[in-house]
Amino acid sequence: MSAISIRKVQSARSRSHAARNVSTMGVVVALFLIAYYALVFIVPFYRAIWLSFQNWDFIVDPIYVGMRNYDHVIHDDYFWQAAKVTLVFSVAEISIALICAFGVALGIHQLPHVLQRFYLGLFYIPVVVPGIVSILLWRWLYLPGDGVINGVLSRFGLPVQPFLNSTSQALWCIIAMVVWANLGGAAIIFFAGINEISIDLLEAAKLDGAGLWRQTINIIIPLLRPIFFYQVVVSVIGTVQMFEQFYLLSGPGFSTRTLAVYTYELGFKTLNLGYGATVSIFIFLFLLAATVIQVQRFMTKQS
Amino acid sequence: MFSNAITQRSWLQRIGKSGGWVTLVIWLLLTVFAVAMVYPFLWLVFGSFKTSSDILAQPIQLLPREWTLSGFRLIWNQSGLPRAYVNSMVVSGLIVFSTLLTSSLGGYVFARLQFPGRQLLFYFILSTTMVPFVTLLIPLYIVMLDLGLLNTYAALWIPAGVSSFGIFLCRQFIIGIPQELYEAAKVDGASDFRIYMEIILPLIRPVLSALAIFSFLGSFNSYLWPLVVLNDENLYTLPLILVQVSTTMGVTNYQGVMAGSLLASIPTLLVYVIFQRNFVKGIALSGIKG
Repeated sequence: MSAISIRKVQSARSRSHAARNVSTMGVVVALFLIAYYALVFIVPFYRAIWLSFQNWDFIVDPIYVGMRNYDHVIHDDYFWQAAKVTLVFSVAEISIALICAFGVALGIHQLPHVLQRFYLGLFYIPVVVPGIVSILLWRWLYLPGDGVINGVLSRFGLPVQPFLNSTSQALWCIIAMVVWANLGGAAIIFFAGINEISIDLLEAAKLDGAGLWRQTINIIIPLLRPIFFYQVVVSVIGTVQMFEQFYLLSGPGFSTRTLAVYTYELGFKTLNLGYGATVSIFIFLFLLAATVIQVQRFMTKQS
Repeated sequence: MFSNAITQRSWLQRIGKSGGWVTLVIWLLLTVFAVAMVYPFLWLVFGSFKTSSDILAQPIQLLPREWTLSGFRLIWNQSGLPRAYVNSMVVSGLIVFSTLLTSSLGGYVFARLQFPGRQLLFYFILSTTMVPFVTLLIPLYIVMLDLGLLNTYAALWIPAGVSSFGIFLCRQFIIGIPQELYEAAKVDGASDFRIYMEIILPLIRPVLSALAIFSFLGSFNSYLWPLVVLNDENLYTLPLILVQVSTTMGVTNYQGVMAGSLLASIPTLLVYVIFQRNFVKGIALSGIKG
Protein backbone atom coordinates (compact mmCIF):
# COMPACT_ATOMS: atom_id res chain seq x y z
CA MET A 1 0.00 0.00 0.00
CA SER A 2 2.63 2.47 1.07
CA ALA A 3 4.91 1.37 -1.76
CA ILE A 4 2.19 2.12 -4.27
CA SER A 5 1.46 5.53 -2.83
CA ILE A 6 5.15 6.40 -2.83
CA ARG A 7 5.38 5.38 -6.46
CA LYS A 8 2.31 7.47 -7.21
CA VAL A 9 3.82 10.50 -5.51
CA GLN A 10 7.07 9.93 -7.37
CA SER A 11 5.45 9.64 -10.76
CA ALA A 12 3.28 12.68 -10.07
CA ARG A 13 6.36 14.60 -9.01
CA SER A 14 8.34 13.57 -12.07
CA ARG A 15 5.42 14.49 -14.27
CA SER A 16 5.16 17.96 -12.78
CA HIS A 17 8.95 18.13 -12.98
CA ALA A 18 8.81 17.37 -16.69
CA ALA A 19 5.98 19.82 -17.21
CA ARG A 20 7.89 22.58 -15.45
CA ASN A 21 10.93 21.80 -17.55
CA VAL A 22 9.39 22.19 -20.99
CA SER A 23 12.06 24.24 -22.68
CA THR A 24 11.00 27.29 -24.65
CA MET A 25 14.05 26.94 -26.84
CA GLY A 26 13.16 23.28 -27.45
CA VAL A 27 9.67 24.23 -28.55
CA VAL A 28 10.88 27.04 -30.81
CA VAL A 29 13.51 24.88 -32.53
CA ALA A 30 11.04 22.02 -32.86
CA LEU A 31 8.45 24.27 -34.49
CA PHE A 32 11.08 25.68 -36.83
CA LEU A 33 12.19 22.18 -37.83
CA ILE A 34 8.60 21.10 -38.39
CA ALA A 35 8.03 24.09 -40.66
CA TYR A 36 11.26 23.44 -42.54
CA TYR A 37 10.56 19.74 -43.02
CA ALA A 38 7.02 20.57 -44.09
CA LEU A 39 8.46 22.69 -46.90
CA VAL A 40 11.23 20.40 -48.11
CA PHE A 41 9.87 16.98 -47.17
CA ILE A 42 6.27 16.59 -46.01
CA VAL A 43 4.61 18.64 -48.74
CA PRO A 44 6.76 17.21 -51.57
CA PHE A 45 6.34 13.66 -50.30
CA TYR A 46 2.61 14.09 -50.02
CA ARG A 47 2.51 15.60 -53.50
CA ALA A 48 4.55 12.73 -54.89
CA ILE A 49 1.89 10.33 -53.66
CA TRP A 50 -0.90 12.62 -54.86
CA LEU A 51 0.74 13.01 -58.28
CA SER A 52 0.99 9.26 -58.72
CA PHE A 53 -2.83 9.17 -58.97
CA GLN A 54 -2.94 11.96 -61.53
CA ASN A 55 -2.21 12.48 -65.15
CA TRP A 56 -0.43 15.80 -65.62
CA ASP A 57 1.63 17.33 -68.39
CA PHE A 58 2.07 20.81 -66.86
CA ILE A 59 -0.17 22.32 -69.53
CA VAL A 60 -3.68 21.05 -68.89
CA ASP A 61 -4.90 20.69 -65.27
CA PRO A 62 -4.14 17.37 -63.55
CA ILE A 63 -6.71 14.61 -64.10
CA TYR A 64 -7.39 11.94 -61.47
CA VAL A 65 -6.70 8.53 -63.00
CA GLY A 66 -6.92 6.24 -59.97
CA MET A 67 -4.50 3.33 -60.02
CA ARG A 68 -3.82 3.56 -63.74
CA ASN A 69 -0.22 4.82 -63.30
CA TYR A 70 0.55 1.92 -60.99
CA ASP A 71 -0.97 -0.49 -63.44
CA HIS A 72 1.21 1.02 -66.19
CA VAL A 73 4.38 0.54 -64.15
CA ILE A 74 3.70 -3.18 -63.75
CA HIS A 75 3.34 -3.60 -67.51
CA ASP A 76 6.00 -1.09 -68.56
CA ASP A 77 8.97 -2.83 -70.19
CA TYR A 78 11.04 0.36 -69.99
CA PHE A 79 10.47 0.46 -66.26
CA TRP A 80 11.63 -3.13 -65.74
CA GLN A 81 14.57 -2.58 -68.07
CA ALA A 82 15.59 0.44 -65.94
CA ALA A 83 15.01 -1.56 -62.75
CA LYS A 84 17.29 -4.30 -64.08
CA VAL A 85 20.04 -1.82 -64.95
CA THR A 86 19.74 -0.24 -61.50
CA LEU A 87 19.90 -3.62 -59.77
CA VAL A 88 22.88 -4.90 -61.78
CA PHE A 89 24.69 -1.63 -61.24
CA SER A 90 24.07 -1.53 -57.47
CA VAL A 91 24.97 -5.15 -56.82
CA ALA A 92 28.09 -5.07 -58.99
CA GLU A 93 29.36 -1.67 -57.90
CA ILE A 94 28.82 -2.32 -54.19
CA SER A 95 30.36 -5.80 -54.18
CA ILE A 96 33.40 -4.78 -56.21
CA ALA A 97 33.97 -1.52 -54.34
CA LEU A 98 33.59 -3.02 -50.87
CA ILE A 99 35.72 -6.09 -51.56
CA CYS A 100 38.48 -3.97 -53.11
CA ALA A 101 38.24 -1.39 -50.32
CA PHE A 102 38.48 -4.07 -47.65
CA GLY A 103 41.47 -5.62 -49.41
CA VAL A 104 43.16 -2.25 -49.70
CA ALA A 105 42.49 -1.43 -46.02
CA LEU A 106 43.83 -4.83 -44.95
CA GLY A 107 46.89 -4.36 -47.16
CA ILE A 108 47.61 -0.84 -45.96
CA HIS A 109 47.32 -2.07 -42.40
CA GLN A 110 50.26 -4.42 -43.05
CA LEU A 111 52.48 -1.59 -44.20
CA PRO A 112 54.89 0.20 -41.89
CA HIS A 113 53.15 2.95 -40.00
CA VAL A 114 54.89 5.80 -41.83
CA LEU A 115 53.52 4.63 -45.18
CA GLN A 116 49.93 4.00 -44.10
CA ARG A 117 48.72 7.56 -44.26
CA PHE A 118 50.41 8.19 -47.61
CA TYR A 119 48.80 5.17 -49.23
CA LEU A 120 45.37 5.97 -47.78
CA GLY A 121 45.80 9.46 -49.23
CA LEU A 122 46.59 8.07 -52.69
CA PHE A 123 43.48 5.89 -52.71
CA TYR A 124 41.46 8.81 -51.46
CA ILE A 125 42.35 11.23 -54.27
CA PRO A 126 39.53 10.09 -56.63
CA VAL A 127 36.98 10.66 -53.86
CA VAL A 128 37.95 14.32 -53.70
CA VAL A 129 37.69 14.88 -57.44
CA PRO A 130 34.25 16.45 -58.03
CA GLY A 131 31.75 13.98 -59.47
CA ILE A 132 31.19 15.89 -62.68
CA VAL A 133 34.94 16.17 -63.27
CA SER A 134 35.45 12.45 -62.90
CA ILE A 135 32.62 11.84 -65.34
CA LEU A 136 34.16 14.14 -67.95
CA LEU A 137 37.58 12.65 -67.24
CA TRP A 138 36.41 9.09 -67.75
CA ARG A 139 34.54 10.06 -70.86
CA TRP A 140 37.90 11.03 -72.35
CA LEU A 141 39.58 7.93 -71.00
CA TYR A 142 36.88 5.76 -72.60
CA LEU A 143 36.93 7.47 -76.02
CA PRO A 144 36.53 4.65 -78.54
CA GLY A 145 39.11 5.88 -81.05
CA ASP A 146 42.01 7.57 -79.37
CA GLY A 147 41.06 7.44 -75.69
CA VAL A 148 43.70 6.83 -73.06
CA ILE A 149 42.56 3.33 -72.13
CA ASN A 150 42.52 2.23 -75.76
CA GLY A 151 45.95 3.81 -76.12
CA VAL A 152 47.22 1.67 -73.27
CA LEU A 153 45.50 -1.43 -74.68
CA SER A 154 47.00 -1.01 -78.14
CA ARG A 155 50.41 -0.40 -76.65
CA PHE A 156 50.17 -3.88 -75.13
CA GLY A 157 48.94 -5.25 -78.46
CA LEU A 158 45.39 -5.77 -77.21
CA PRO A 159 42.32 -5.10 -79.39
CA VAL A 160 40.74 -1.64 -79.13
CA GLN A 161 37.36 -1.59 -77.34
CA PRO A 162 34.19 0.43 -78.06
CA PHE A 163 33.51 1.00 -74.31
CA LEU A 164 30.63 3.47 -73.93
CA ASN A 165 29.50 2.88 -77.51
CA SER A 166 28.76 -0.75 -76.79
CA THR A 167 25.50 -2.01 -75.33
CA SER A 168 27.26 -4.75 -73.41
CA GLN A 169 30.22 -2.70 -72.13
CA ALA A 170 28.72 0.70 -71.29
CA LEU A 171 27.23 -0.24 -67.92
CA TRP A 172 30.46 -1.92 -66.83
CA CYS A 173 32.41 1.19 -67.82
CA ILE A 174 30.24 3.23 -65.48
CA ILE A 175 30.63 0.63 -62.74
CA ALA A 176 34.42 0.85 -63.09
CA MET A 177 34.31 4.63 -62.87
CA VAL A 178 32.11 4.66 -59.78
CA VAL A 179 34.23 2.00 -58.08
CA TRP A 180 37.26 4.19 -58.82
CA ALA A 181 35.50 7.19 -57.30
CA ASN A 182 34.17 5.46 -54.18
CA LEU A 183 36.81 2.94 -53.20
CA GLY A 184 38.94 5.32 -51.13
CA GLY A 185 36.11 6.41 -48.85
CA ALA A 186 35.18 2.85 -47.93
CA ALA A 187 38.86 1.92 -47.54
CA ILE A 188 39.37 4.59 -44.87
CA ILE A 189 36.35 3.38 -42.90
CA PHE A 190 37.54 -0.24 -43.06
CA PHE A 191 41.05 0.84 -42.11
CA ALA A 192 39.76 2.69 -39.06
CA GLY A 193 37.76 -0.41 -38.14
CA ILE A 194 40.72 -2.76 -38.45
CA ASN A 195 42.79 -0.36 -36.36
CA GLU A 196 40.31 -0.61 -33.53
CA ILE A 197 40.63 -4.38 -33.27
CA SER A 198 42.69 -5.22 -30.22
CA ILE A 199 46.17 -6.48 -30.95
CA ASP A 200 45.95 -8.92 -28.04
CA LEU A 201 43.10 -10.70 -29.76
CA LEU A 202 45.10 -11.16 -32.94
CA GLU A 203 48.21 -12.17 -31.04
CA ALA A 204 46.23 -14.78 -29.16
CA ALA A 205 44.98 -16.10 -32.49
CA LYS A 206 48.54 -16.18 -33.78
CA LEU A 207 49.65 -18.17 -30.73
CA ASP A 208 46.88 -20.64 -31.51
CA GLY A 209 48.43 -21.04 -34.95
CA ALA A 210 46.11 -18.91 -37.02
CA GLY A 211 47.77 -17.40 -40.10
CA LEU A 212 46.95 -14.09 -41.72
CA TRP A 213 44.18 -15.70 -43.79
CA ARG A 214 42.52 -17.41 -40.80
CA GLN A 215 42.77 -14.22 -38.75
CA THR A 216 41.07 -12.26 -41.50
CA ILE A 217 38.29 -14.80 -41.94
CA ASN A 218 37.72 -15.69 -38.30
CA ILE A 219 38.43 -12.45 -36.46
CA ILE A 220 38.62 -9.36 -38.65
CA ILE A 221 35.62 -9.96 -40.91
CA PRO A 222 33.24 -10.97 -38.09
CA LEU A 223 34.32 -7.98 -36.00
CA LEU A 224 33.86 -5.61 -38.93
CA ARG A 225 30.39 -6.93 -39.73
CA PRO A 226 28.66 -3.76 -38.43
CA ILE A 227 30.86 -1.66 -40.74
CA PHE A 228 30.13 -3.89 -43.73
CA PHE A 229 26.45 -3.68 -42.90
CA TYR A 230 26.49 0.10 -42.61
CA GLN A 231 28.50 0.44 -45.82
CA VAL A 232 26.13 -1.77 -47.78
CA VAL A 233 23.01 0.05 -46.55
CA VAL A 234 24.47 3.48 -47.32
CA SER A 235 25.83 2.35 -50.70
CA VAL A 236 22.50 0.87 -51.77
CA ILE A 237 20.77 4.17 -51.07
CA GLY A 238 23.63 6.05 -52.79
CA THR A 239 23.86 3.94 -55.94
CA VAL A 240 20.11 3.82 -56.55
CA GLN A 241 20.02 7.62 -56.45
CA MET A 242 22.96 8.19 -58.80
CA PHE A 243 22.00 10.22 -61.80
CA GLU A 244 24.64 12.16 -63.71
CA GLN A 245 26.89 9.14 -64.15
CA PHE A 246 24.21 7.52 -66.31
CA TYR A 247 22.83 10.70 -67.76
CA LEU A 248 26.18 11.93 -69.05
CA LEU A 249 27.95 8.65 -69.81
CA SER A 250 24.88 7.04 -71.32
CA GLY A 251 25.50 3.97 -73.44
CA PRO A 252 23.50 3.11 -76.57
CA GLY A 253 19.74 2.66 -76.31
CA PHE A 254 18.53 1.90 -72.81
CA SER A 255 21.61 -0.06 -71.77
CA THR A 256 22.50 2.36 -68.98
CA ARG A 257 19.17 4.00 -68.20
CA THR A 258 18.45 3.58 -64.49
CA LEU A 259 15.23 4.26 -62.60
CA ALA A 260 16.57 7.65 -61.47
CA VAL A 261 17.26 8.71 -65.08
CA TYR A 262 13.89 7.33 -66.17
CA THR A 263 12.16 9.42 -63.49
CA TYR A 264 14.00 12.53 -64.63
CA GLU A 265 13.12 11.94 -68.27
CA LEU A 266 9.46 11.32 -67.48
CA GLY A 267 9.26 14.41 -65.30
CA PHE A 268 11.30 16.92 -67.24
CA LYS A 269 11.68 15.63 -70.80
CA THR A 270 8.38 14.00 -71.74
CA LEU A 271 6.46 15.99 -69.08
CA ASN A 272 4.62 12.97 -67.80
CA LEU A 273 4.65 14.14 -64.19
CA GLY A 274 2.10 11.74 -62.74
CA TYR A 275 3.80 8.70 -64.20
CA GLY A 276 7.25 10.02 -63.25
CA ALA A 277 6.09 10.41 -59.65
CA THR A 278 4.75 6.85 -59.71
CA VAL A 279 8.09 5.47 -60.91
CA SER A 280 9.87 7.45 -58.20
CA ILE A 281 7.55 5.99 -55.57
CA PHE A 282 8.53 2.52 -56.76
CA ILE A 283 12.17 3.52 -56.26
CA PHE A 284 11.30 4.47 -52.69
CA LEU A 285 9.48 1.18 -52.10
CA PHE A 286 12.36 -0.86 -53.55
CA LEU A 287 14.84 0.95 -51.31
CA LEU A 288 12.63 0.52 -48.28
CA ALA A 289 12.31 -3.22 -48.95
CA ALA A 290 16.06 -3.59 -49.54
CA THR A 291 16.87 -1.77 -46.30
CA VAL A 292 14.35 -3.70 -44.21
CA ILE A 293 15.69 -7.00 -45.55
CA GLN A 294 19.27 -5.98 -44.84
CA VAL A 295 18.49 -4.81 -41.30
CA GLN A 296 16.63 -8.04 -40.57
CA ARG A 297 19.43 -10.21 -41.90
CA PHE A 298 21.95 -8.20 -39.91
CA MET A 299 19.91 -8.51 -36.71
CA THR A 300 19.47 -12.27 -36.99
CA LYS A 301 23.16 -12.78 -37.75
CA GLN A 302 24.18 -10.58 -34.82
CA SER A 303 22.05 -12.55 -32.36
CA MET B 1 46.09 9.52 -37.16
CA PHE B 2 43.93 7.14 -35.16
CA SER B 3 44.85 6.68 -31.49
CA ASN B 4 48.51 6.28 -30.59
CA ALA B 5 51.50 4.84 -32.31
CA ILE B 6 51.62 1.59 -30.39
CA THR B 7 48.19 0.42 -31.40
CA GLN B 8 48.87 1.68 -34.88
CA ARG B 9 51.84 -0.54 -35.42
CA SER B 10 50.98 -3.23 -37.89
CA TRP B 11 49.80 -6.25 -35.99
CA LEU B 12 51.55 -8.51 -38.41
CA GLN B 13 54.88 -7.02 -37.40
CA ARG B 14 54.05 -7.54 -33.76
CA ILE B 15 52.83 -11.05 -34.30
CA GLY B 16 55.98 -12.27 -35.95
CA LYS B 17 58.83 -11.30 -38.20
CA SER B 18 58.24 -14.29 -40.44
CA GLY B 19 55.74 -12.31 -42.51
CA GLY B 20 58.36 -9.99 -44.02
CA TRP B 21 58.02 -11.20 -47.59
CA VAL B 22 54.23 -11.15 -47.31
CA THR B 23 54.43 -7.47 -46.43
CA LEU B 24 56.67 -6.90 -49.41
CA VAL B 25 54.27 -8.56 -51.84
CA ILE B 26 51.34 -6.64 -50.35
CA TRP B 27 53.28 -3.42 -50.68
CA LEU B 28 54.04 -4.14 -54.30
CA LEU B 29 50.41 -4.98 -55.13
CA LEU B 30 49.16 -1.89 -53.34
CA THR B 31 51.63 0.28 -55.21
CA VAL B 32 50.51 -1.03 -58.61
CA PHE B 33 46.87 -0.54 -57.62
CA ALA B 34 47.51 2.95 -56.23
CA VAL B 35 49.27 4.02 -59.44
CA ALA B 36 46.27 2.84 -61.46
CA MET B 37 43.98 4.81 -59.13
CA VAL B 38 45.99 8.02 -59.31
CA TYR B 39 46.84 7.83 -63.03
CA PRO B 40 43.49 9.21 -64.32
CA PHE B 41 43.80 12.17 -61.99
CA LEU B 42 47.38 12.87 -63.06
CA TRP B 43 46.20 12.64 -66.62
CA LEU B 44 43.73 15.44 -65.89
CA VAL B 45 46.36 17.58 -64.17
CA PHE B 46 48.94 17.27 -66.95
CA GLY B 47 46.27 17.29 -69.66
CA SER B 48 45.31 20.80 -68.59
CA PHE B 49 48.74 21.99 -69.72
CA LYS B 50 48.57 20.23 -73.11
CA THR B 51 47.33 21.48 -76.46
CA SER B 52 44.16 19.84 -77.77
CA SER B 53 46.03 17.87 -80.42
CA ASP B 54 48.56 16.73 -77.85
CA ILE B 55 45.74 15.38 -75.66
CA LEU B 56 44.55 13.10 -78.46
CA ALA B 57 47.99 12.30 -79.91
CA GLN B 58 49.09 8.67 -80.16
CA PRO B 59 50.95 7.05 -78.56
CA ILE B 60 49.49 8.51 -75.38
CA GLN B 61 51.88 10.30 -73.10
CA LEU B 62 51.22 11.52 -69.57
CA LEU B 63 53.43 14.61 -69.67
CA PRO B 64 52.73 17.38 -72.18
CA ARG B 65 54.95 17.35 -75.27
CA GLU B 66 54.73 21.12 -75.11
CA TRP B 67 53.55 22.97 -71.99
CA THR B 68 50.87 25.61 -72.54
CA LEU B 69 48.43 27.69 -70.52
CA SER B 70 46.12 28.30 -73.47
CA GLY B 71 43.51 25.92 -72.04
CA PHE B 72 43.22 28.01 -68.90
CA ARG B 73 43.08 31.25 -70.88
CA LEU B 74 40.39 29.85 -73.14
CA ILE B 75 38.14 28.59 -70.34
CA TRP B 76 38.59 31.66 -68.18
CA ASN B 77 37.90 34.20 -70.91
CA GLN B 78 35.40 32.45 -73.14
CA SER B 79 33.02 30.64 -70.83
CA GLY B 80 30.80 31.26 -67.85
CA LEU B 81 33.29 29.54 -65.57
CA PRO B 82 34.30 32.56 -63.44
CA ARG B 83 30.67 33.41 -62.84
CA ALA B 84 29.87 29.77 -62.04
CA TYR B 85 32.70 29.76 -59.53
CA VAL B 86 31.06 32.63 -57.65
CA ASN B 87 27.64 30.94 -57.84
CA SER B 88 28.98 27.65 -56.53
CA MET B 89 30.83 29.33 -53.67
CA VAL B 90 27.85 31.44 -52.60
CA VAL B 91 25.39 28.55 -52.75
CA SER B 92 27.73 26.10 -51.00
CA GLY B 93 28.50 28.71 -48.34
CA LEU B 94 24.82 29.24 -47.61
CA ILE B 95 24.15 25.51 -47.53
CA VAL B 96 27.07 24.74 -45.20
CA PHE B 97 26.12 27.56 -42.83
CA SER B 98 22.47 26.61 -42.53
CA THR B 99 23.24 22.89 -42.31
CA LEU B 100 25.59 23.50 -39.38
CA LEU B 101 23.03 25.77 -37.71
CA THR B 102 20.05 23.44 -38.06
CA SER B 103 22.09 20.32 -37.22
CA SER B 104 23.63 21.74 -34.05
CA LEU B 105 20.35 23.27 -32.88
CA GLY B 106 18.38 20.13 -33.69
CA GLY B 107 21.03 17.87 -32.18
CA TYR B 108 21.01 19.95 -28.99
CA VAL B 109 17.28 20.10 -28.45
CA PHE B 110 16.82 16.40 -29.19
CA ALA B 111 19.67 15.41 -26.91
CA ARG B 112 19.10 17.69 -23.92
CA LEU B 113 15.87 19.69 -23.85
CA GLN B 114 12.37 18.66 -22.86
CA PHE B 115 9.37 19.41 -25.01
CA PRO B 116 6.26 17.51 -26.01
CA GLY B 117 6.66 15.20 -29.01
CA ARG B 118 10.45 15.15 -28.81
CA GLN B 119 10.90 11.44 -29.51
CA LEU B 120 8.26 11.44 -32.21
CA LEU B 121 9.81 14.37 -34.06
CA PHE B 122 13.27 12.88 -33.82
CA TYR B 123 12.18 9.54 -35.22
CA PHE B 124 10.28 11.33 -37.94
CA ILE B 125 13.42 13.23 -38.96
CA LEU B 126 15.44 10.00 -38.92
CA SER B 127 12.85 8.26 -41.08
CA THR B 128 13.07 10.95 -43.79
CA THR B 129 16.52 9.60 -44.69
CA MET B 130 14.72 6.54 -46.05
CA VAL B 131 13.11 8.55 -48.84
CA PRO B 132 15.50 9.01 -51.76
CA PHE B 133 15.89 12.43 -53.31
CA VAL B 134 14.61 11.23 -56.71
CA THR B 135 11.23 10.54 -55.12
CA LEU B 136 11.03 14.18 -54.07
CA LEU B 137 12.51 15.53 -57.30
CA ILE B 138 9.34 16.21 -59.30
CA PRO B 139 7.14 17.44 -56.40
CA LEU B 140 9.94 19.55 -54.93
CA TYR B 141 10.32 21.19 -58.31
CA ILE B 142 6.58 21.95 -58.26
CA VAL B 143 6.88 23.43 -54.76
CA MET B 144 9.70 25.71 -55.94
CA LEU B 145 7.63 26.64 -58.98
CA ASP B 146 4.63 27.49 -56.80
CA LEU B 147 6.79 29.64 -54.54
CA GLY B 148 8.25 31.41 -57.55
CA LEU B 149 11.76 30.38 -56.59
CA LEU B 150 12.94 28.78 -59.85
CA ASN B 151 16.15 30.39 -61.09
CA THR B 152 17.16 31.74 -57.68
CA TYR B 153 19.90 30.91 -55.21
CA ALA B 154 17.13 30.09 -52.74
CA ALA B 155 15.95 27.17 -54.88
CA LEU B 156 19.41 25.62 -54.63
CA TRP B 157 19.87 26.54 -51.00
CA ILE B 158 16.61 25.74 -49.19
CA PRO B 159 16.22 21.99 -49.93
CA ALA B 160 19.84 21.35 -48.92
CA GLY B 161 19.87 23.64 -45.89
CA VAL B 162 18.84 20.97 -43.42
CA SER B 163 20.35 17.52 -43.00
CA SER B 164 18.66 14.68 -41.12
CA PHE B 165 21.97 12.90 -40.96
CA GLY B 166 23.58 16.04 -39.51
CA ILE B 167 20.92 16.37 -36.80
CA PHE B 168 21.38 12.70 -35.93
CA LEU B 169 25.17 12.99 -35.83
CA CYS B 170 25.06 16.08 -33.58
CA ARG B 171 22.51 14.49 -31.25
CA GLN B 172 24.66 11.39 -30.81
CA PHE B 173 27.68 13.54 -30.11
CA ILE B 174 25.88 15.83 -27.63
CA ILE B 175 24.40 12.86 -25.74
CA GLY B 176 27.99 11.80 -25.13
CA ILE B 177 28.80 15.09 -23.37
CA PRO B 178 28.58 14.56 -19.57
CA GLN B 179 25.17 15.52 -18.21
CA GLU B 180 26.83 17.15 -15.16
CA LEU B 181 28.28 19.88 -17.33
CA TYR B 182 24.80 20.79 -18.47
CA GLU B 183 23.30 20.52 -14.97
CA ALA B 184 26.03 22.71 -13.48
CA ALA B 185 25.43 25.45 -16.02
CA LYS B 186 21.70 25.13 -15.36
CA VAL B 187 22.22 25.57 -11.62
CA ASP B 188 24.29 28.66 -12.31
CA GLY B 189 21.22 30.06 -14.03
CA ALA B 190 22.36 29.79 -17.64
CA SER B 191 19.55 29.73 -20.18
CA ASP B 192 19.22 26.86 -22.66
CA PHE B 193 20.35 29.13 -25.44
CA ARG B 194 23.42 30.29 -23.52
CA ILE B 195 24.36 26.70 -22.80
CA TYR B 196 24.06 25.99 -26.51
CA MET B 197 26.25 28.94 -27.45
CA GLU B 198 28.89 28.67 -24.75
CA ILE B 199 29.12 24.99 -23.87
CA ILE B 200 27.67 22.85 -26.61
CA LEU B 201 28.95 24.64 -29.71
CA PRO B 202 32.63 24.71 -28.66
CA LEU B 203 32.47 21.07 -27.61
CA ILE B 204 30.97 19.75 -30.84
CA ARG B 205 33.46 21.52 -33.12
CA PRO B 206 34.99 18.26 -34.42
CA VAL B 207 31.67 16.87 -35.54
CA LEU B 208 30.66 20.22 -37.02
CA SER B 209 33.82 20.50 -39.08
CA ALA B 210 33.33 16.99 -40.43
CA LEU B 211 29.74 17.87 -41.23
CA ALA B 212 30.85 21.11 -42.89
CA ILE B 213 33.18 19.21 -45.20
CA PHE B 214 30.52 16.65 -46.16
CA SER B 215 27.99 19.36 -46.74
CA PHE B 216 30.41 21.46 -48.79
CA LEU B 217 31.46 18.56 -50.98
CA GLY B 218 27.84 17.49 -51.42
CA SER B 219 26.55 20.89 -52.45
CA PHE B 220 29.58 21.74 -54.55
CA ASN B 221 29.16 18.51 -56.54
CA SER B 222 25.41 18.61 -56.84
CA TYR B 223 24.25 18.32 -60.46
CA LEU B 224 20.70 16.99 -60.76
CA TRP B 225 18.88 19.55 -58.61
CA PRO B 226 20.57 22.64 -60.15
CA LEU B 227 19.91 21.11 -63.59
CA VAL B 228 16.21 20.98 -62.78
CA VAL B 229 15.66 24.37 -61.13
CA LEU B 230 18.03 26.56 -63.17
CA ASN B 231 17.86 27.59 -66.77
CA ASP B 232 19.34 31.05 -66.33
CA GLU B 233 22.97 30.55 -67.33
CA ASN B 234 24.05 33.41 -65.07
CA LEU B 235 23.14 31.26 -62.09
CA TYR B 236 24.78 28.04 -63.33
CA THR B 237 26.97 26.29 -60.81
CA LEU B 238 30.31 24.72 -61.73
CA PRO B 239 29.03 21.23 -62.61
CA LEU B 240 26.42 22.69 -64.95
CA ILE B 241 28.84 25.02 -66.67
CA LEU B 242 31.41 22.25 -67.09
CA VAL B 243 28.92 20.00 -68.82
CA GLN B 244 27.76 22.87 -70.98
CA VAL B 245 31.32 23.78 -71.93
CA SER B 246 32.19 20.18 -72.68
CA THR B 247 29.38 19.99 -75.23
CA THR B 248 29.82 23.44 -76.80
CA MET B 249 33.60 23.48 -76.94
CA GLY B 250 33.71 19.84 -77.94
CA VAL B 251 36.54 17.97 -79.52
CA THR B 252 38.59 20.86 -80.80
CA ASN B 253 38.88 22.49 -77.40
CA TYR B 254 39.65 19.57 -75.13
CA GLN B 255 42.36 21.64 -73.51
CA GLY B 256 39.82 24.22 -72.36
CA VAL B 257 37.46 21.65 -70.88
CA MET B 258 40.33 19.89 -69.17
CA ALA B 259 41.73 23.11 -67.70
CA GLY B 260 38.22 24.00 -66.54
CA SER B 261 37.83 20.60 -64.89
CA LEU B 262 41.06 21.10 -63.02
CA LEU B 263 40.04 24.59 -61.91
CA ALA B 264 36.69 23.23 -60.72
CA SER B 265 38.47 20.55 -58.67
CA ILE B 266 40.64 23.02 -56.76
CA PRO B 267 38.13 23.98 -54.03
CA THR B 268 37.35 20.38 -53.06
CA LEU B 269 41.03 19.42 -53.21
CA LEU B 270 41.88 22.41 -51.01
CA VAL B 271 39.15 21.55 -48.52
CA TYR B 272 40.54 18.04 -48.37
CA VAL B 273 44.16 19.13 -47.88
CA ILE B 274 43.36 21.80 -45.28
CA PHE B 275 40.89 19.77 -43.26
CA GLN B 276 42.50 16.40 -43.82
CA ARG B 277 42.67 15.59 -40.12
CA ASN B 278 39.02 16.34 -39.52
CA PHE B 279 38.14 14.72 -42.77
CA VAL B 280 39.55 11.35 -41.85
CA LYS B 281 38.08 11.63 -38.36
CA GLY B 282 34.76 12.68 -39.76
CA ILE B 283 34.61 9.79 -42.16
CA ALA B 284 35.52 7.35 -39.42
CA LEU B 285 32.91 8.97 -37.20
CA SER B 286 30.15 8.80 -39.75
CA GLY B 287 31.12 5.35 -40.90
CA ILE B 288 31.29 3.64 -37.57
CA LYS B 289 29.10 5.56 -35.20
CA GLY B 290 26.59 6.49 -37.90
